Amino acid sequence: MSVPETDIDGGLYAVRQKIYPREIDGRFQRLRTIAAWVLLGIFYVIPWIPWGGRQAVLFDLPARKFHIFALTLWPQDFYFLTWLLVIAALALFFFTALAGRLFCGYACPQTVWTETFLWMERLVEGNRSQQMKLARAPWGTEKVLRKGGKQLLWIAFALWTGFTFVGYFTPIRELAGLVANFATGPWETFWVLFYGGATYVNAGFMREQVCKYMCPYARFQSAMFDNDTLIITYDERRGEPRGPRKKGIDPASKGLGACVDCTLCVQVCPTGIDIRQGLQYECIACAACIDACDEVMDKVGYPRGLIRYDTQHGLEGTPRRVLRPRTIVYATLLTLLVAGLAWSITHRNAVGVDILRDRNALFRERPDDTIENVYNVKILNKDGDAHEFRITGSGLPGLVVDYAGPTVWVGPGAVQGVPVRVRIPEDSLEGGADIDLTIVATDRPELTASGKARFIAPTD
Amino acid sequence: MFGAHREEYSGKLRWPRLAQDVAIVAWPSFLVASVATMVCFAFIDPLLVGNDDYPPPAFATRMGGYALGFFFFWLVASLSSLLSLYLVRTARPEPPENDETAEHGVRSTE
Repeated sequence: MSVPETDIDGGLYAVRQKIYPREIDGRFQRLRTIAAWVLLGIFYVIPWIPWGGRQAVLFDLPARKFHIFALTLWPQDFYFLTWLLVIAALALFFFTALAGRLFCGYACPQTVWTETFLWMERLVEGNRSQQMKLARAPWGTEKVLRKGGKQLLWIAFALWTGFTFVGYFTPIRELAGLVANFATGPWETFWVLFYGGATYVNAGFMREQVCKYMCPYARFQSAMFDNDTLIITYDERRGEPRGPRKKGIDPASKGLGACVDCTLCVQVCPTGIDIRQGLQYECIACAACIDACDEVMDKVGYPRGLIRYDTQHGLEGTPRRVLRPRTIVYATLLTLLVAGLAWSITHRNAVGVDILRDRNALFRERPDDTIENVYNVKILNKDGDAHEFRITGSGLPGLVVDYAGPTVWVGPGAVQGVPVRVRIPEDSLEGGADIDLTIVATDRPELTASGKARFIAPTD
Repeated sequence: MFGAHREEYSGKLRWPRLAQDVAIVAWPSFLVASVATMVCFAFIDPLLVGNDDYPPPAFATRMGGYALGFFFFWLVASLSSLLSLYLVRTARPEPPENDETAEHGVRSTE
């Protein structure tokens, strides 16, 4: 389908400029621009925020530690991440039931980056008619400069995006230094190019094709819809029968509805659907058709909202219900899960202990008639502050724990291995027995953890 | 597909069948591989895989292990997607719903 010159009804309601998909202005398009700025701002700024000598948000894969502001997550805390993903999925269900595909229109990275790439394209190549003129023009200085300039801007932005992405996993300030000196390691280089390349292809070329052919959410979101879900919809009862009409005429006298059949809503649709045919899975809820239609309604002097955000019930003139079993269940589950996560993160045991037997000797018989076993005790301090730890033992009569210093200092979010010698009197054990080793923070006794270890003694 | 200029906005175009197939195979398997990589390496330290008498060279560093794991999962998931797509594409077309074929034991998917 080609886009015709946009005149409404033979020039009576002529729209000045040709309309290019997405090149429509209106309240919802401005809202989307604001959303894109905020979200991209968050994405590009977060890795640069410092936090007590380290990066505030750093998924330190080589060290297997996730830092999220004051919180440090360890592999043992993985269930928090799973929990978070469940919350994210449920939140998506909840907002979909409530407000349809708001996520697609305003927050999906695919949409946001596509918007940004379109904006850069317009910046260099001009509006739609200028872009088309440029495409038809023979290759000359201007065309090379404009086309090359766009590609340069796109590639630079995509590389910066890839760099930022890797900056969530590698300290970004160090990475910046490495990039400046072309000294990045093979994996950093690879992931910068991989993520940057994906951004470039997805946002520069594939655009809404991703939504139409590749996105699973687009296909299953209808399962979460009901008659009270906010959707972008054409008011058929008000609009039909559609048709052109002279200005100032009462449409009812001609047997016409409010739709002047200008097809602007079809032209501005980035996925190429006609919203007047009803809800379709290709609709990414960008609201461009609403803005386009509102503009036309203003021009012809009809009330706005022939195409609008509404619910099926709203269209039928029956009451709209925000509170309904589906949303109440989702909201309750969501609240419980978020509260539970918050509680368990604030109440989780901030310390852990890992005990490994020394592999070199099973036991040692000492001249003072004691048996000695040696362990490597690893103290995990997941807390945001450093602590001094005392190590004690129990489980056998006369057990003595010996290690360097009265206390062991472990920094915030750090692991400290301590060689620990455990001794018992020679005659108190034959063979082996389990003992418990316990660590306690001296300043906060509630920070404590214990682990079992095998004590081995001679069997004679 | 990407090169030639078209008058129509690129998001509106129908993709050719081949492009659709590549997307349908590559993208969902990418998503699944991402999740599988996260779950797998939350429990398994790649260095432990390399902690062997003959460690695979890619597992010498954690980053190498993660990357290898990710591409392994992507490959496996792609093969599965490819087979599923092949089965769907080569199946006899579903008869239209609500017609007499229903009584011949053809079950509707809805």
